[in-house]
Amino acid sequence: MSVWVYGEQKSELGLEGTITRKLEEDLYEVFIGPQHPGSGHMRIIVRIDGDIIVEADPDMGYVHRTMEKLSEGREWIKNVPLFERMAIHDACNVTVSYVMALERILGIEPPPRAKYLRTLLCEINRIAAHLYGFGIFGVFIGHSTMYMWSFADREVMVELAEKLTGARLTHSYPIPGGARRDMPQDFPQAARKAVRYFRRRLDEYRKIFLDNPVTRKRLEGVGIIPKKIAAELGVVGPVARASGIKYDARLAEPYDAYDEVEFEVPVYEEGDALARAWVKFEEIKQSLRIIEQAVDWLEKHPREAPIHERFWAKAPPLWKKVFEAEGRVKLLPLMANLKLPPGRAMARSETARGEIVYYVESDGKTTPYRVRIVSPSARNAIVFKYIAPGYKVMDLPTIYGSIDYFPPEADR
Amino acid sequence: MPAKPVVKRLPARRGLFAGFKGNVDAITIGLKYLVDPKRFTLIYPNEYIKLDPGYRGFIVLDPKKCIHCSSCARICPAAAMRMIKRMEEDPKTGKPKMKLWPVINYQRCIFCGYCVDVCPTEALYTVPYHDIVYENMAEMDWSLETFVKPPEHPTAKEGIPVKYIVDEEKGLVKVRAEEVEEK
Repeated sequence: MSVWVYGEQKSELGLEGTITRKLEEDLYEVFIGPQHPGSGHMRIIVRIDGDIIVEADPDMGYVHRTMEKLSEGREWIKNVPLFERMAIHDACNVTVSYVMALERILGIEPPPRAKYLRTLLCEINRIAAHLYGFGIFGVFIGHSTMYMWSFADREVMVELAEKLTGARLTHSYPIPGGARRDMPQDFPQAARKAVRYFRRRLDEYRKIFLDNPVTRKRLEGVGIIPKKIAAELGVVGPVARASGIKYDARLAEPYDAYDEVEFEVPVYEEGDALARAWVKFEEIKQSLRIIEQAVDWLEKHPREAPIHERFWAKAPPLWKKVFEAEGRVKLLPLMANLKLPPGRAMARSETARGEIVYYVESDGKTTPYRVRIVSPSARNAIVFKYIAPGYKVMDLPTIYGSIDYFPPEADR
Repeated sequence: MPAKPVVKRLPARRGLFAGFKGNVDAITIGLKYLVDPKRFTLIYPNEYIKLDPGYRGFIVLDPKKCIHCSSCARICPAAAMRMIKRMEEDPKTGKPKMKLWPVINYQRCIFCGYCVDVCPTEALYTVPYHDIVYENMAEMDWSLETFVKPPEHPTAKEGIPVKYIVDEEKGLVKVRAEEVEEK
């Protein structure tokens, strides 16, 4: 049985204008998605021989919203709420690198307090996104307890984010030069309680999900990506780290406060679905450590506006009054029509699913000339094509859930 | 102090009773929560969440403070805020004068709060509630008369205000709003 290779531009079935081909005998073609519960807004075309996957074609693009092109018609700051819609439960991680790229073009550096605040929200988002991933993963493999638990516990992190930013999901928190709010007075206490709760709770997660023999049987040895293949495919994030690649954007190029806080980047070498689940599990623990350190730092240092001098030095007295009363950083009206000098910048950050890269080009106008986004899910989707063949159809949800593929982020 | 990568190993699953122990652990945890469940379901609309004052809910205009500068309409990322022209009597001269007033279209608003933050006189403010239902789409496009007063909050009339607080033992707990405020 030969595996079919793309590129033959002829119609074997004689249909004009469409590329068709005859399926090999004894092969079934199964269309999983886009309406199938459990494939998200995407389709995987699977060709099976009995129960074994012979070929898998990920068919992406069902939620493509032309984000890169839309951004060219909007002013710089207005793109933050737009790009957030790639992964709303991971909003700060996804937009912080866009804002960093703008800061590089402007030639400004946010004050340390803004850096810590952003880091704090990034880690809250990371935990929430990992729990979201765990929930979907759990329900994919029929473990609905995990789905219920992680979605309920995610609410703790959403509540913290709401206290910090005023919105549950689409925070629009980072702005060029800093962050939009300082933390409220009762935040540190709530954050420490949440951290202590999660430390205890994660042990229960391990017992009911990761160390549960039923789950282990379904995850162990499924979707193995060897280290060399992982590097060749160019996968990022927990998928790469589960295959033994020591790569993390926070490690390679520490941004915000990541070079000051102490944390580990967990790496596993097995490369199977279980290792990917464990990477995420260990990352939640490290994020809790970062939250603790960030809150400590923010409490110790004086409350001052977490925004660059350029947008604060000439601000009227009302700006300072509002900040002292509510912790809200008011924006100068020039933010709406902010003009960036001509130039280009790249920035990357580590989202829950892996590294996101922004290339931003400015030609001196109030809108971008070009914004290019490389999102982690788009890079990880290749796993379906090259790793899924050889496993059973039953294992496809396991592979899907373990790489935590998120279609709106991949399609942009 | 920069981060460091740490290579870890998956927990080994060896021994005759390893599977047995894992099963017992999982079932014990399940039974624990069967007996003592951790629930915080909101019985809406009999209860409603009393949100913090900093919550970014519906946006309302204070007409006394507005200086007609159009900053809010310019920064709105969803083009929900727009300026309308109104002929008004000038208090100084007594002659009619054209004035610009912001109005908001809640079909488009994404509640990012940029307009509230950019307003140079704090004429825009947010109310800490979000659950307002409209019978048709046209009602969501507010006129200036609707925009100048806080919208009616029907659930607050009937429901009991509750708050969710982070708890060390149970994660989130639902408590009566009065109990939190007393502390």
